[in-house]
Amino acid sequence: MAATAKPIQSIHAQEAEDDLRENLLFDPRPRSEINSMVMESMQTAGWKFWAVTTFVALFVLVALFGVWIYLILNGMGVTGTDRPIYWGVFLSNTVFWIGISHTGAFVAALLRVIKTNFHHAITRVAEFMAVFGIIQTGLSVFFHLGRVWRSYWLIPFPNERGLWPDFHSPLSWDFMAITTYMIVSGLYLILPLIPDLAMLRDHSTGWRKNLYRILALGFRGTEDEWKHLRAAIKIFSFAMIPIMVSVTTVVSWDFAMATRPGWSSTVFGPFFVVGAFHSGVAALVALLALIRITMKNMKYFIRPETFDSLGKLMLIISMAWAYLYFNDYIVPWYGGTSLDRLLLKFHETGPFAPMFYLMLTFNAVIPWALLWNKKIRRSPWVMFIIGLLIVIGMWFERFLIVPGSLTISANPFTWRIYQISWVEVSLTLGTVAFFALLYLLASRFLPFISPWEVQEGQESHTIRKVGKAGLPSASDID
Amino acid sequence: MTTKTKIPEVAVSQSTTDQGKWGMVIDQDICTGCQACVAACAMENNVSFVGEDDIAYGRGMHWIRIERFWKGDYPKVASSYQPMLCQQCGHAPCEPVCPVYAAVHSASEDLNLQVYNRCVGTRYCANNCPYQVRTFNWRDYARPEPLSNQLNPDVTVRQRGVMEKCTFCIQRINAVEDKAASENRQINDGEMLPACAQACPADAITFGRIDDPNSKVSQKARDGRGFMALEELGTLPRITYLKGGSLHGSNG
Amino acid sequence: MSDDGMTLLALFQEVDPAAEAVEKLREMGVADERMNVVSGVPFKEEILGRPRVRTHVPMFALGGAIAGFALAVFLIWGVPFLYPLYVGGQPMFPVPPLLVVGFELIMLGMLTATFLGVFVDSRFPSYEPKFYVPEISDGEIAVFFDCPAGMQAKFEKAMQSLGAESVRTVEAQEL
Repeated sequence: MAATAKPIQSIHAQEAEDDLRENLLFDPRPRSEINSMVMESMQTAGWKFWAVTTFVALFVLVALFGVWIYLILNGMGVTGTDRPIYWGVFLSNTVFWIGISHTGAFVAALLRVIKTNFHHAITRVAEFMAVFGIIQTGLSVFFHLGRVWRSYWLIPFPNERGLWPDFHSPLSWDFMAITTYMIVSGLYLILPLIPDLAMLRDHSTGWRKNLYRILALGFRGTEDEWKHLRAAIKIFSFAMIPIMVSVTTVVSWDFAMATRPGWSSTVFGPFFVVGAFHSGVAALVALLALIRITMKNMKYFIRPETFDSLGKLMLIISMAWAYLYFNDYIVPWYGGTSLDRLLLKFHETGPFAPMFYLMLTFNAVIPWALLWNKKIRRSPWVMFIIGLLIVIGMWFERFLIVPGSLTISANPFTWRIYQISWVEVSLTLGTVAFFALLYLLASRFLPFISPWEVQEGQESHTIRKVGKAGLPSASDID
Repeated sequence: MTTKTKIPEVAVSQSTTDQGKWGMVIDQDICTGCQACVAACAMENNVSFVGEDDIAYGRGMHWIRIERFWKGDYPKVASSYQPMLCQQCGHAPCEPVCPVYAAVHSASEDLNLQVYNRCVGTRYCANNCPYQVRTFNWRDYARPEPLSNQLNPDVTVRQRGVMEKCTFCIQRINAVEDKAASENRQINDGEMLPACAQACPADAITFGRIDDPNSKVSQKARDGRGFMALEELGTLPRITYLKGGSLHGSNG
Repeated sequence: MSDDGMTLLALFQEVDPAAEAVEKLREMGVADERMNVVSGVPFKEEILGRPRVRTHVPMFALGGAIAGFALAVFLIWGVPFLYPLYVGGQPMFPVPPLLVVGFELIMLGMLTATFLGVFVDSRFPSYEPKFYVPEISDGEIAVFFDCPAGMQAKFEKAMQSLGAESVRTVEAQEL
């Protein structure tokens, strides 16, 4: 009568430990293997990749830069803006790209600061999103300027005109904030990249080796160099969080400082910050799913666990977004002026009403309905679709705020509905294509995964036996 | 660049009397909506003609426009006309939002200035104007011969991408002040009229110094029918509209 | 690094034997300054039993923050003082814009100075010949140390007994 079956508890413990080993950090491989996996993903690209890249590059050339030159030569009349809708899709695109860009740096910084166990493989992709996204923001700002060739007048520098920019204006604060963020996110990308460039230098040959040798700046990995780098990354990570919040808020103040109904709302600061986070995490998830599906060896690094954790974050943020949107809605609904209430009615029953309801569906209903389920969260394909839908929903939200709200002004004689023009559509799609192009080109030169951070994560996380169970344990080895 | 002006103190309005220097009174009960003021302003200030399609899309560049309001149902319909132009606000919402100091307040004339050379075309000022009286050069509009002979040499022409608006005919103000200074006298009341006031066949627009309580415009502004457009926003406009309860009544 | 002897390299796969090796080298008379531990991932100094490294990067950060704020004060308050231009109902020297732009420029100054601090402290970029082997970026831990002439065999034996993957003499080379 010997008991041959294993007791239930130890089966569960074994299953739990197997589940744990599905996390990248508990499934370690030698660093040399990680290095070669990353390099292989950078160097293997079939004809399909180059065909797509060429197509995207041509699209960017024509639909972005070609159409932009057409816009400059012909004036803003070729867009859909008019009185009273002086700001159209270009400005809503600006806010959209700021949202996506800022979340990149914010996620990389916040997850490093709170030391999660799933960020090691995703920080590089997030940092790229920050830099590539802010380029699209800058382009969108330049698109909307009537005399863009004079835009350097916003830079405060001593000049023979004796004129400086006006810092009473939220646009000047915007200029300072976006410039700060552009520079800082670029630096935040470069710092953790240096050790990876050293690795690439060691493993490359020919002209690539020369390129990486120059870019790696002579980094070796001595204790001194690591100490300075770690101190800097720590300062950057802590500073990035208030920077993200402040820059997004300053952009929201472009609208909140104006006296238009629907814009002059005190909740815009936090609302835009959370909205940025919402669209950005969704974009990050969609990007990670794409990278996992299309690039070699990425299935080892970007695992269902990553999507699971990011999915939980997406659910919480979508609730926060809905809370702030409701705040922004109920206050004018209850006690706003007649213009405020008319604007709300316009959102619900006007020509943009389908956009309004789709926005609510994509941003709140779909995440709330689906992201509770662990199986859904762990599936990269489904997360890609949910992420994409949220990004589209947030674009709708930005559209409703900028050209949508401008429909109604204090002077009813001038009310008019915005009609988007082909120039604006082309330039919007052009920025998306440019964003994709930058990623496609970067994938050939720079590693999307940071091998030193992955190794660091794997060395500091082990499975420790506590009683009968194997539990995750993290140590601060750096 | 040297400036000897004293740095202005913190104040809601530049002017100490809080009511400005140059102002206007527009009598809505006399206005017939004939649009002579619109035409005269366009001639005087080299305002571009944008064409049928653009104006239907809300790109009209008239610095003054006649807003027509209907009251009542057919057949007892009454119309009233309100000429809307830049109110030259004392506390202008369009000024602080310009990032390049293209919309500033004149210290000497207490007017809201638009500096065409400086404008980069962000259009934040136009978004912020509650009266929506600022117009933007959406394109370079053509002025084919012989229309170009009609241009006023005292006023510049504006490039595409530049914001413009009513200036109370500041070129005429400057001309009259120069003349008065060279003759060592003050400007007489009524010596200078902007194009719209000059052209109005009903004399519905009165213009002058509102800081002088004896000027015609100040006397008319004290008429019991006076109100200011969107006064509750606190923009301190310099234009008083007169409406309702007079001998003339409203049309119909 | 060496004067009359030579520089030896001991390569280790794991961090525990490397830490033992550092202690053993100290016992055998190699001073801390004559040792250099180079690795592909950062390790705390305590893990390897090495003296604390002083970094000036936080000081750079502080200096940059102050410089950024000074620039903001000049832009928001200094420029209207030099070129007063009146705009609609707002004070000539406003405080809220100073807080907004001040914060941004503090952050910009702080972080650019931090970045420069890394370059200055680590003396980047430098392309002279250095002691380095490519295995380091494959995750191995290299201990470079000065070995007096004639003692090479003794040190080799000591390192290999602790589990070094290889022990050999190295020259400074271009990276």
